[in-house]
Amino acid sequence: MNMTTFTNQTRKDNSREEVQKGKVPRTGKGFATAIRYLLLALISLTMAFPFYWMVISGFKTNDEIWQFPPTFWPETFRWNNYVDAWQSAPFARYILNSTGVAAAICLIQVINSSMMAYALTHMRFRMKGVLTGLILVGYMIPSTAVYLPSYLVLSELKLLDSYTGLIVSNCVSVFSIFLIRQAFMQVSHELVEAGQLDGASHFRILWTIMTPLVRSSFAVMVLITFIDQYNNYFWPMLITKDPNLQLVSAGLRSFFVEGGAYGLAWPQIMAASAFTIAPLLILFLFTQKTIMQSVNITAGVNKN
Amino acid sequence: MRVKLWRETEAVLFTLPALIPLLIFWLGPLGYIVYLSFTDWDFMSPDKLFVGLDNYSYLLTNSEFYRSLKVTLLFGLGSVVPTIVGGLALALLMNSKIKSSGLFRTLLFSPWVTPTVAVSIAWSWIFEPEVGLANLLLGWVGISPIGWLRDANWALVAVLIVTLWKSIGWSMVFYLVALRNLPSDLLEAASIDGAGSWDKFRSITLPLISPTTFFLSIILTIQSLQAYDQINVMTQGGPAGSTRTLLYMYYQSAFESFNVGEASSIAVVIILICVLLSGVSFLLGRRLVHY
Repeated sequence: MNMTTFTNQTRKDNSREEVQKGKVPRTGKGFATAIRYLLLALISLTMAFPFYWMVISGFKTNDEIWQFPPTFWPETFRWNNYVDAWQSAPFARYILNSTGVAAAICLIQVINSSMMAYALTHMRFRMKGVLTGLILVGYMIPSTAVYLPSYLVLSELKLLDSYTGLIVSNCVSVFSIFLIRQAFMQVSHELVEAGQLDGASHFRILWTIMTPLVRSSFAVMVLITFIDQYNNYFWPMLITKDPNLQLVSAGLRSFFVEGGAYGLAWPQIMAASAFTIAPLLILFLFTQKTIMQSVNITAGVNKN
Repeated sequence: MRVKLWRETEAVLFTLPALIPLLIFWLGPLGYIVYLSFTDWDFMSPDKLFVGLDNYSYLLTNSEFYRSLKVTLLFGLGSVVPTIVGGLALALLMNSKIKSSGLFRTLLFSPWVTPTVAVSIAWSWIFEPEVGLANLLLGWVGISPIGWLRDANWALVAVLIVTLWKSIGWSMVFYLVALRNLPSDLLEAASIDGAGSWDKFRSITLPLISPTTFFLSIILTIQSLQAYDQINVMTQGGPAGSTRTLLYMYYQSAFESFNVGEASSIAVVIILICVLLSGVSFLLGRRLVHY
């Protein structure tokens, strides 16, 4: 079920309820609904409040931010904090690094996940069962646990401190394979057979028949992978020492700790945090339907 | 015969682009770390001395290890249970036909999208003991200020609050989908039979959404074992080890004390916990989950 049917259904239910309301007027129900709204509004505002706090604290003067009780609206808006923060560390570079690395990873994952998923769903070969099992287990074991040996492998390959290392070590994801496999399983095998009768190779069938059919799953996969990789912190921080290669989370963290910023320049730190999360919040606002659709697909993964 | 051979080869060729990196960065390291856990290596020396089970016996007699194990357990329970219960409660609140549910959903889900490092920095200011917002709120209800991240009794709670804040909207969306997929005729039939809302919830809704609960508990448990970013930013395992999970201890002994052998044995323990949990959940899932 995608998001459009999701909202359509809600609309249908709404009208049904209005009909019922017309028949039997009940005052208790209106009260319960009001309470419900109030609760939801309260919780949603509480959840969003840290974002507000981040942005607003970024505008305060250093004196004001150290006041108690704190102010909920700055006395004067110091726009300069944002400019200062942006200029005190190469944030443009960090954001560009994160975006570029995440985009490259997405592209490679689209290719290798779809090929693997195609083989697992529509090709017959001996190792199929073993591979499926391997991927299932891979889903269960946290990759963070093998960071130490992976670091050693990457250093053997002389790929530490390089964009190549960042990209190559993240270029396969069990989750992505899962997601695409799930989508391909729903495509009828007869389509593949028909393609083969027409003399098309598997490669051609994959790219011209299968992929367009499940493009919404690919959209989900790319978005989730992009967000994950943009936010990635632990692994990139381990394998890159060169400040020019830092991704945005690691860059922000260095700004937080170094340069006397720790505990001194809080308005600038809050400003920097705010513009670090801004690209993602904007991306989310435009693509939220697709992102939430991932829930449908991942929940489906579990049932197999 | 030749056709069959080509078919096998072609399938293998299709799996290679994913399989090669999987072998190099996942399966290979998995074997490698088991080997390293039997050595006494320090990153520097050219030889890796084989020490048998020494690392493990050291670990099992080390009180720091048990402390981390306890923190890991507390962190797991403290993040998984509230995320599931809270997510379900929010989904139930949102489920009956309300206007602007899209807006609520966006607000509740957005923490999940944002970088943990950035939001943890903002939260550490909220938890500031002297001028932080958290203590202001406590003051309003007449509770004296808490040291939060500087207090060994409260640091884990603070980290858990941030973790819960990040993931509760995410689990809510899972439950929303599950709730919308409930068969409405079954619920209506129960209403006609005179079942109250609590009865309906307990005997129809809860069993029917159990696959979602099951899925979320596995994924969230694995996520809790991997939690690193918020701990690194907010407490770095402190104060006095009160937020040092097994994963954090592993990281510190590997990349701060360069005790590769000991670190590897901790990692093997983490992997074993995952295997054990997966096995248990597999068995439980077959018994308790209604598909």
